[in-house]
Amino acid sequence: MAVQQTAEVPVAAERVSRRHLSRSRRQTLWFLFFQTPWLLGLFFLTIIPIVGGFIISLSNYDGISIPTTKFVGIGNYTRMLTDKQGMEALVHTTVYVLILVPLVLALAFGMAMLLNQAMKGRGFFRTAYYLPTLVPIVAVAWIFKLFLASKNGPLNSAINLIYPVGEIVWIGQAHALATVISMALWMSFGTGMVIFLAGLQGIPPELEEASIVDGANKFQVFRNVILPLMTPVIFFQLVLSLIGTFQELLRPMLLWSTTGMQGTPSKPVYLMMVHVYRQVFTFGRYGYGAAILWFTFILLMLLALLLFWSSKYWVYYTQNVEGGAE
Amino acid sequence: MTGNAITTNTRQPFNSRKFFGRVGLYTLLFGVAVFVMLPVAWGIITSLKQEGEYSANPIKWLPVVPQFVNYVHVFIYQPFLKYARNSLFLAVTFSTLTVITSAMSGFAFSRINVPHKQALFQVVIALLIIPNLVTVIPTFMIFSKLGLTNTYWPWILWGLGASPFYIFLFRQFFSNFPKELEDAAEVDGANPLRIFVQIFLPNAKPVLATAFILNFIWVWGDYLTPILYLSDRNTTLAVKLQSAYIDPHGNTLVTVVMAASVLYTLPLIVMFFMAQKHILQGVITSGLKG
Repeated sequence: MAVQQTAEVPVAAERVSRRHLSRSRRQTLWFLFFQTPWLLGLFFLTIIPIVGGFIISLSNYDGISIPTTKFVGIGNYTRMLTDKQGMEALVHTTVYVLILVPLVLALAFGMAMLLNQAMKGRGFFRTAYYLPTLVPIVAVAWIFKLFLASKNGPLNSAINLIYPVGEIVWIGQAHALATVISMALWMSFGTGMVIFLAGLQGIPPELEEASIVDGANKFQVFRNVILPLMTPVIFFQLVLSLIGTFQELLRPMLLWSTTGMQGTPSKPVYLMMVHVYRQVFTFGRYGYGAAILWFTFILLMLLALLLFWSSKYWVYYTQNVEGGAE
Repeated sequence: MTGNAITTNTRQPFNSRKFFGRVGLYTLLFGVAVFVMLPVAWGIITSLKQEGEYSANPIKWLPVVPQFVNYVHVFIYQPFLKYARNSLFLAVTFSTLTVITSAMSGFAFSRINVPHKQALFQVVIALLIIPNLVTVIPTFMIFSKLGLTNTYWPWILWGLGASPFYIFLFRQFFSNFPKELEDAAEVDGANPLRIFVQIFLPNAKPVLATAFILNFIWVWGDYLTPILYLSDRNTTLAVKLQSAYIDPHGNTLVTVVMAASVLYTLPLIVMFFMAQKHILQGVITSGLKG
């Protein structure tokens, strides 16, 4: 009996494992079948361009002629150090990011907090704040150019009705930063607000009630209950918005242009990507443009890593229950 | 009115702090709404002005006679519909393809168990934060060498390549499907492709629509890609709106541009109101989880 059993078990186990193997192999093949489009896309449309961009960044490629293209080593990278305009663009981009990102997150979060209570018209306000995010950027740029027109524009006219200050040139050196930031806030706080609002509504009301019973005031509830529970959402929005804002290109380009992409934004909003765009498409310095892009890529990845590292100190993760199919 | 007051009173006595809190809240909310809507309202008003009116000195707040003819000029001065058709073609093609390929990938990530699946999914997460422009400009260089610029092929290829945000969205969505559904089908001998097409897709209509619309909105509004990849002949509304409505001296016909902007934006607004719930849910799902 005992001998029989030991003789049978390996056979059964082998049969099972063979069937299991073929099944798991089938599973793998099916998995690959479903992932093929994405994997091909990942390789040809993401990895190759990034690596290709790096190779181009080591050359003096001008976008036209490959035979005259020479390997220039890290020349394009050292060139950045002496590129005064580029360095200024880096500083201005940093300023732009440091102002806009906290502002847009705070505004989105603040409006979400205001709308996160039992009240009439919540749906109306949510829709009203979200609508600007739907307007295509070219249309927004036109609207803002009109609205902010220095001569007899509605904003300046309204300001002058209240207090005569004359023409304010919003789309010019002096107010450039404020103008582009307002446009960015106008276009994007609605998305963040909708996301934060959903996050807030996911907080179980019992938690708030319990802390009120324990004698916490409204601020303490916010500080000790709501804010910690919202940190994962804040974190994700912070990462995406930092990376997106660092790549700002179109808002200054479109605001400062009249026809086509000809305009050069004023200094405070002459940002990194504007500089890259001009290097590549105005001056045909593909190699140099690619070098700045790679530098930006590394910078942003380091920034993202830093944020992920910092997240363990301030992002509060509850039990992760996603991925139910596991 | 009286009945209302009584029911309020029976619930709780008049609380002045709460009352003024509410007044303050609504004032603030309306203030922000007005601030948000003013530029749009000004765009619409301008689209109804005469060309001389929009820059009148002093400012003319409203048109004397609404110039609906501006909306006719949109079609006369430029082949608006032709460019709209180009935008529509690109938006529909890209959105359809990317929805299918992203759904496939999301399905595999959530329902097919293979080793190291989680590691591969980490790649999707990492892709979410790869700066867009890092790939856009090198891709342009490569595509132009391959002769793919001035064609719609880039949109088709990008669509076929799926998009990490929507892979994420579909994985999330398919993970919530009951396991029994596919177990039953598997017993009947259905393979994953049949399960995907016959069970998962038909039950995913809302999220498919959401992903389609969000992608549609993105491509329809996109300016950078068409200005880089397409030429005057086959470009989209976004590019034409930026530069095409000019008089013989090269001055922009502002009122016509505003009318064209209204017509250009309107389809997106209509889409939004038709599928508001789904769109917001899609924005939330792809923005909430990290």
